Amino acid sequence: MIRVLAVARNTVREVLRERIVLVLAIFGAALVVASQILSPLALGEGKKVVTDFGLAGSSLLATLLAVFLGSSLLHKELDRRTIYAVMAKPIRRAEFLVGKFLGLWTTTGFLLAGMTLMVLAQLTVVHHETPWILLGSLLLTLMELGIVIAFVILFSSFTTPGLTAFFTIGVIVTGNFADQILYFGGQGESPMVAVLTGAFYWALPHLSTFNVRGMVTHGIAVPPERMAFAVTYALLYMGAVLTVAGAIFERRDFR
Amino acid sequence: MSRTWARIAALVPFLAAGALLAGADFLDEAGRERFQRGSADELLYYPSGLMVRQAALGYETAAADIAWLRGIQYYGEHRLTDQKFDMIGHVMDIVADLDPAFIQPYIFGAFVLAQEMKQPERGLLLLERGRIANPDDWALAFEAGFLQYVCRHDFAAATRYFTWASRMPGHPEYVERFAAFASQKAGNRGMAILLWKRVLATGNKYMQQVALRELKRLDEEGQR
Repeated sequence: MIRVLAVARNTVREVLRERIVLVLAIFGAALVVASQILSPLALGEGKKVVTDFGLAGSSLLATLLAVFLGSSLLHKELDRRTIYAVMAKPIRRAEFLVGKFLGLWTTTGFLLAGMTLMVLAQLTVVHHETPWILLGSLLLTLMELGIVIAFVILFSSFTTPGLTAFFTIGVIVTGNFADQILYFGGQGESPMVAVLTGAFYWALPHLSTFNVRGMVTHGIAVPPERMAFAVTYALLYMGAVLTVAGAIFERRDFR
Repeated sequence: MSRTWARIAALVPFLAAGALLAGADFLDEAGRERFQRGSADELLYYPSGLMVRQAALGYETAAADIAWLRGIQYYGEHRLTDQKFDMIGHVMDIVADLDPAFIQPYIFGAFVLAQEMKQPERGLLLLERGRIANPDDWALAFEAGFLQYVCRHDFAAATRYFTWASRMPGHPEYVERFAAFASQKAGNRGMAILLWKRVLATGNKYMQQVALRELKRLDEEGQR
């Protein structure tokens, strides 16, 4: 565990070197400007518009950062050959991957939390109301982010940064279409197609499970059972994806 | 001969300038006609809400806000020009597909359909859609009562809606008052004035402007 945390700490430092804190400043400025421009146009719905755009923007930015920063993390280690120095130490390859995963998840998670707190601060200052239930959405978006990062680590364990980003975005898109894939598969006449789409449906991450943005915007708190289910599902899913990634990375030839 | 040519040559810049001005005016007219035709179709090809919902990839409520803002702009632009709001129902349907719990688009859309386009049935249909998605929302039932009373003059239906609204959680005190007034068949004009005064208390500047216009009309009717 100490070895994993050491890799995670280094990954956090490496990601911070990319000056991603700038994203926070840009997000904060954009939120204030958008709030000033859009609130008067929304005919009394300014609070809803700011909350929606704030939550959607923070989730989208954190996901994109995780995909694009994460897809080059492993590749850089291989490219600069620093991986040889790490592997010479008593650390398993799977532990190295888990460390990378935790480092990236921690950094982008803090970024996401920072952006959500900015939305809360904006609502408190402008609309004199602090909807703490937004924190429920933050927790589930963090879980969604964890699954996305697990896929980034999986794809980067065997392919190039460009393809890693491409495949991960593909997973995000299909993960949001999971229900439609199952529905259309069941509409055809071939039972084989129905079985295949069924298997594909269960294998895909059900990202809509983590989407409670609409719910919290309308003032409805996330029910504890949904929260518990989503967190358990996410942790198990991340574990499964990282196990596959570790198995692939163990066999990878670094030359 | 050369002097004649010289005079003609001197006229050329003026003729060219005249031709350019005439051409510019023609192009301006043609462009204006095209622009106006374009504005009539401006939201005709707006995609259906269900399609946008799939494409929004989990960001439906933000997409609903964009459609809502676009709908308000559409209303505002046409209010200043031709007073035609043909696509407002379509836009509000899209918002409802994207975010069924967003109450204001049902109310505003129904208000414009009933009051500005004189199509209260369509307005009531939009409200009914909202009531199916949000059965406990008093504001939708109250608005349905408002339209029944003010636009359709169906006082029995209005009483029914106001009473429903008064039984829903979170309703303000005045809802019960309107339910009582409507059931006592209070004078049509007096009740209408009270209802329009309630519209003045909303945060929607467009609805407030219509309310002021209607209050003025009712006042003039009363003086006659």
